[in-house]
Amino acid sequence: MTYIPTTGAAHPAPVPDPNPDPATRAPSTSEPATSEPATSAQAPAPSRECPACGTANPAESSFCEACGADLVVAARAATGTPPAAPPSDGTVLASATPLTAPAGEESPLDVGWTGAVPSSAVVPAEDELTCHACGQGRIVDGYCDHCGTPPPNPRDHLVESPTAWVGGVCDIGRRHARNEDAMSLSAAEAPGSRAVLVVCDGVSMATDSHIASLAAAKAARAVLDQPFPRGVGTPDAWAAGAARALTSAVAQANEAVAAAVVEDVPNPPSCTFAAAVVEDDVIVAGNVGDSRVYWLPDAAEEPASQLGRDDSFAQEQMAAGVPRLEAETGPHAHSITRWLGRDAPDNLTPHLTTVTATAGWLMVCSDGLWNYCSEAEALRSLLHDTAARLDDVTPTTVAQALVDFANEQGGRDNITVALARLAGRGSSTTEATASAAPVEGDPTDG
Amino acid sequence: MADFTAEVFQNEFLPDGGTDVHAIVRVTSSGASATAASAASAGLTDPGSAAEVILIDTSGSMGRRGVQAAGEAAKAALAEIVDGTLFSIVSGNGTAQIVYPYSHQGALVPMSAHTRGEANRAIEGLRANGGTAMGTWLTLARQIFETVPYVTKRHAILLTDGVNEGETPASLQAAVASCVGAFQCDCRGVGDQWRVDEVRGIASALLGTVDLIPAPEEMAAEFEAMMRASMSRGVANSELRVWVPQGAELLFVKQVSPTLEDLTSRRTVVNPLTGAYPTGAWSDESRDYHVAVRLPARTLGQEQLAARVQFSLGGDPVAQALVKAKWSNDDSLTTRIDPAVAAYTGQAELATVIQEGLAAKAAGQDDVATAKLGRAVQLADATGNDEMTTRLKKVVDIDDADTGTVRLKKGASKIDEMSLDTASTKTSRVRR
Repeated sequence: MTYIPTTGAAHPAPVPDPNPDPATRAPSTSEPATSEPATSAQAPAPSRECPACGTANPAESSFCEACGADLVVAARAATGTPPAAPPSDGTVLASATPLTAPAGEESPLDVGWTGAVPSSAVVPAEDELTCHACGQGRIVDGYCDHCGTPPPNPRDHLVESPTAWVGGVCDIGRRHARNEDAMSLSAAEAPGSRAVLVVCDGVSMATDSHIASLAAAKAARAVLDQPFPRGVGTPDAWAAGAARALTSAVAQANEAVAAAVVEDVPNPPSCTFAAAVVEDDVIVAGNVGDSRVYWLPDAAEEPASQLGRDDSFAQEQMAAGVPRLEAETGPHAHSITRWLGRDAPDNLTPHLTTVTATAGWLMVCSDGLWNYCSEAEALRSLLHDTAARLDDVTPTTVAQALVDFANEQGGRDNITVALARLAGRGSSTTEATASAAPVEGDPTDG
Repeated sequence: MADFTAEVFQNEFLPDGGTDVHAIVRVTSSGASATAASAASAGLTDPGSAAEVILIDTSGSMGRRGVQAAGEAAKAALAEIVDGTLFSIVSGNGTAQIVYPYSHQGALVPMSAHTRGEANRAIEGLRANGGTAMGTWLTLARQIFETVPYVTKRHAILLTDGVNEGETPASLQAAVASCVGAFQCDCRGVGDQWRVDEVRGIASALLGTVDLIPAPEEMAAEFEAMMRASMSRGVANSELRVWVPQGAELLFVKQVSPTLEDLTSRRTVVNPLTGAYPTGAWSDESRDYHVAVRLPARTLGQEQLAARVQFSLGGDPVAQALVKAKWSNDDSLTTRIDPAVAAYTGQAELATVIQEGLAAKAAGQDDVATAKLGRAVQLADATGNDEMTTRLKKVVDIDDADTGTVRLKKGASKIDEMSLDTASTKTSRVRR
């Protein structure tokens, strides 16, 4: 890492608290806040409302006085329309129009602002300025003026729980300065009916990979959220439609990554891609790079397996006969051979696998987890042991416990674990035709 | 108006359980000299903006030749004072007297062709006589400055040639203490009969420089340079403000460039977490400060603001640098020592061992002196400080610079020791 001298002018921007919980907050000790939160649409004309935290700033302000967000960019993007609160349902927002400064300039947005964070819809401005750590100080220049603690960066720890049977945790880990993993999940209420789990792992050598990975994950999910075409109604027709949808999702994600940085940069951002879609208890998985999808059935007699395979140097070595442990801990173990981004290889067709689910766990994860538990059977044991220790077993709590496990092992990389709990084909209306064993159809295999 | 910038050099990464954060904060001003120059080119400096007092030693030890040379030096300094600047000339021995302006004109007069001529003639009348009591000179200077409370930039030049014998050390100390914050004072010692630590104490407390003038003839050039430097300073009333978080301990604040100056004890409280340290007047220049903070260790991966260093003018912050701490178990990050911190830490140790070595030598503790000066030779050699090595060579014979093996030089001249002593606090600036 290189050190960049800091001047008084460039400070990391504080970012909104992801989980505003008024009950746990200390009452504001400050004088009346500089603005009325969420009502500034009626604010006097000469003010510029911050799109990030809602603070009304003087009209000539370039940056928000409360959170440091770039108001000029925001105003330009808004083009006269009154700034609205970010949608609270977490739909794609801002990721397709990345808020990144031109190359060479340090933007306060670089630090962690990667688009609206779903749960931070409207946060009162005075809470933004009160330190979460000591409850006494106010956040100035990105740090508490009492205890020196920076506000939590929501990008560092993301939790999504779209339904009771789908959830995930995306965490910065212990060693990295930035969380370049991203996750995007959606699910229908009925268990096993429909879910989309996307995980993208930004390549840490590249610029702004944390923005790229989130853009990719959201773009892919937007594609996969559409029900797959059923064609003539046969399982084959459905599988073909699913394969087309996943390939299209990769293409859209790739475009989103390429668009994530406005200017040409020497190290264009790039990321991996791993997605699994559940439709009526049939899983279709696809990946590019070394983020993984695992199918971990409950029944011991049913094998646990990785769906698809890595595009990595380690995978190539294993294909050549090197044992897994040796290959995955070797000098270039983490070099990937395919990725999404402006400099991506031409062939981005994902490794596709279709599985008919029995009772079990579907997992999509980044190498931050599997670095510490790579083999599918071992991962199943780990998951079962982890879940057994939890009082409240939900996909989100299990994902969090697995993230904790990876952090306890050292947390050398960002960690993302997304899980879907599947009950099996019992509730499904479609005829069971596929076997329980994974069927890999991989066009790239030639 | 002058512009100030602040930048920080540090390694913010701390190992597991690490507590101490060191940072070099570089404050750079631009446009400060222009502020001074534009006032000067306007023909007349606003009489409210600056005041100068020249304090000349006229004790008996100066002799006729010494006083005459000092007079020439004072005239050279007067020639540099910009028209409109208030000024006064004081002669000092056992007591202090205003030589110019004449008593009916008050304590200070604005510089003009006329007053400069009168002052030059008044200087001709100086005679060597009596003892040395620098405390009385400083006290008079303070009283002179107190007649113009509205003047923000106040500067004095003190010239001495001997030991302060006319008063007790305590009364000198009390006089110096009463002058802190009242004016800045650059001090110069001529010859080898004065004591470096005594004069350095005055200069240091009054935010000035100290140096040795080997012979009376060299005084004029030195005075001219000192006064020119003072005239170029366009910004006064500045201070460094250092905030540390609740629970943290500010270990020290030192100026490390251009000279070493420990500011820690000069703290004035701004609020419970913030202290202010006076930095005197500024021309276009760059100064480096070493700030060390001790924090309670946090868990790995956590981040904390360790210090906020602000440069403020008249109480308003004009530049700021943030010193950070991040706990990491990545040895490649935490074991690196910032080159600027390392270089200035070495230079501070060099200054300390030189001063301690010379003091031990003066006290007759030759073994201590040999060890300390040996360490100084080793440090100067290791850091490539050739200027200091050259000065050390005049005081010790070097057997092996690597190991710091030296012998005290027989018959080293007093003036060489003193010049080594005064030069010890001058640091070479670390480049980035």
